[in-house]
Amino acid sequence: MAEVSSNSGLLTVHLVTPDRLLLEATAVSVELPSSSGYMEALYGAAPLLSELGAGEVRLHGGTSGDQVFFVAWGFVEVLPERVTILAETAMPPSEIDVEEARQELALGETMWNEAGDDGKKYEYANLMTRQAEEKLASAKDTGTKD
Amino acid sequence: MANVLDLRRRIRSVKNTRQITKAMKMVSAAKLRRAQERAMRARPYAEALSNVLVSLVRRSDLYDEQTDEILHPLLIEREEKNVLVIVVAGDKGFAGAFNSNIAKAAQRFIDYRREMGQTIDLEPVGKKAVAFYKKNTAVAVHERTAEHYDNDQSTHYTVVRHRAQAIEVAAEHPSMLLRVGIEEVSAMVHDIVARYERAEIDSVYVVYNEFKSVIAQRVVVEKMLPIRKLGVQEITAFEEMSEEEREAAVRAAHSAGVSVFPMEDDMAKSEAKFGTAEVDYIYDQAPGQLFHNLMPKYVTTQIYHALLESAAAEHAARMTATDAASKNAEDLIDSLSLTMNRVRQAAITKEIIEIVSGAAAL
Repeated sequence: MAEVSSNSGLLTVHLVTPDRLLLEATAVSVELPSSSGYMEALYGAAPLLSELGAGEVRLHGGTSGDQVFFVAWGFVEVLPERVTILAETAMPPSEIDVEEARQELALGETMWNEAGDDGKKYEYANLMTRQAEEKLASAKDTGTKD
Repeated sequence: MANVLDLRRRIRSVKNTRQITKAMKMVSAAKLRRAQERAMRARPYAEALSNVLVSLVRRSDLYDEQTDEILHPLLIEREEKNVLVIVVAGDKGFAGAFNSNIAKAAQRFIDYRREMGQTIDLEPVGKKAVAFYKKNTAVAVHERTAEHYDNDQSTHYTVVRHRAQAIEVAAEHPSMLLRVGIEEVSAMVHDIVARYERAEIDSVYVVYNEFKSVIAQRVVVEKMLPIRKLGVQEITAFEEMSEEEREAAVRAAHSAGVSVFPMEDDMAKSEAKFGTAEVDYIYDQAPGQLFHNLMPKYVTTQIYHALLESAAAEHAARMTATDAASKNAEDLIDSLSLTMNRVRQAAITKEIIEIVSGAAAL
């Protein structure tokens, strides 16, 4: 891939949710929670499309400093100079409602127990549990009050 | 003839009404602006999503080798026997013909489909739409049976639909429009997709009021499933607003300070290119898997968008209706004031004549 002429060494990061464009910023590197594990994108990365899981998007070294967002489910496109994240749910960890996350976790576990051998329900319950767990972890990292 | 006091009372009452309708108009205008903004902000995501799908479709490994058909349940076209119609109307009245236009369009569609011998499932969204079908339409019955085996270690569930009537209400969503949220729409679509996949319904249509701007609105019937072409709206019937309605809408928008042009969205540009770069992407997951997971999301954003537009249209309709009401109140006040002045003048004249003729008789 030919080097981009405006070689600033910074990635442009867009975080888009179904309601709005949540974030438009620059970063040296971006950590992304893909559905198969965390990965990190740097400037000049190979083009990649991946499904997002639940977890944290962390921006490092951008002009507006480090930033962390909790995201769940969606897709990410990585291009050499641009990262676009489409997330179904996205919010700063400080906005996570811990109580609600706990309820979701409980609901996910109940659903898991009741799913029987319905594969889809299992899958759904697992997704729910995972999202709630990641939410709680994310909230804990930043020391959000209960 | 009414006396001055009565007329004065009536004028006061009409003035109060005008005050209320004027306030309602301004509130609707503010809500319309917000709804328009929301609809616009939702666009980047929808666009990016449909772009990824389009770029995935180009890849060959999604197609069946023998039939050359794409492998996804939501793309398979069956003969339409059972049709699901999602009817999106408003939550409240006082919006001119907004709700009744939707009801009429839906009824026309249903009648037409019934003539073709198809059965109809309805899914009303919004309090008014729910109310349309509350009285005369049967509710669909689903039977969920659980089958236990392996010493109750596992359970197998099957859902069977018992259809008693040709037109039934499959589900209703009276409070979805209070604040249109992606989670609620997602849950609704999840349910619809499940019914579609087990062939309980063969196609899905949405009847709603499309809203591009105050002057570009129409009631449409849009086909959502099966998806024939990604990223392309498939409108099967539509009804444009009349010239009269358009004029009323322009007048209302003008006096409320709302732009009649669609909002510009320049922030969608980079999202519009999402997934379409002319490069060979590395796919972190198998493209087939990605495609499979994306399809229901695509349907969700389509319906989400329809709901947002309908919400904006409802506010616009209310703004127009209350503007017309304020104008009528003004006319009424004018004509009542005129009558009142005449009556008062007549009384004065009568009194003078009485005095003059009394003096003449002396």
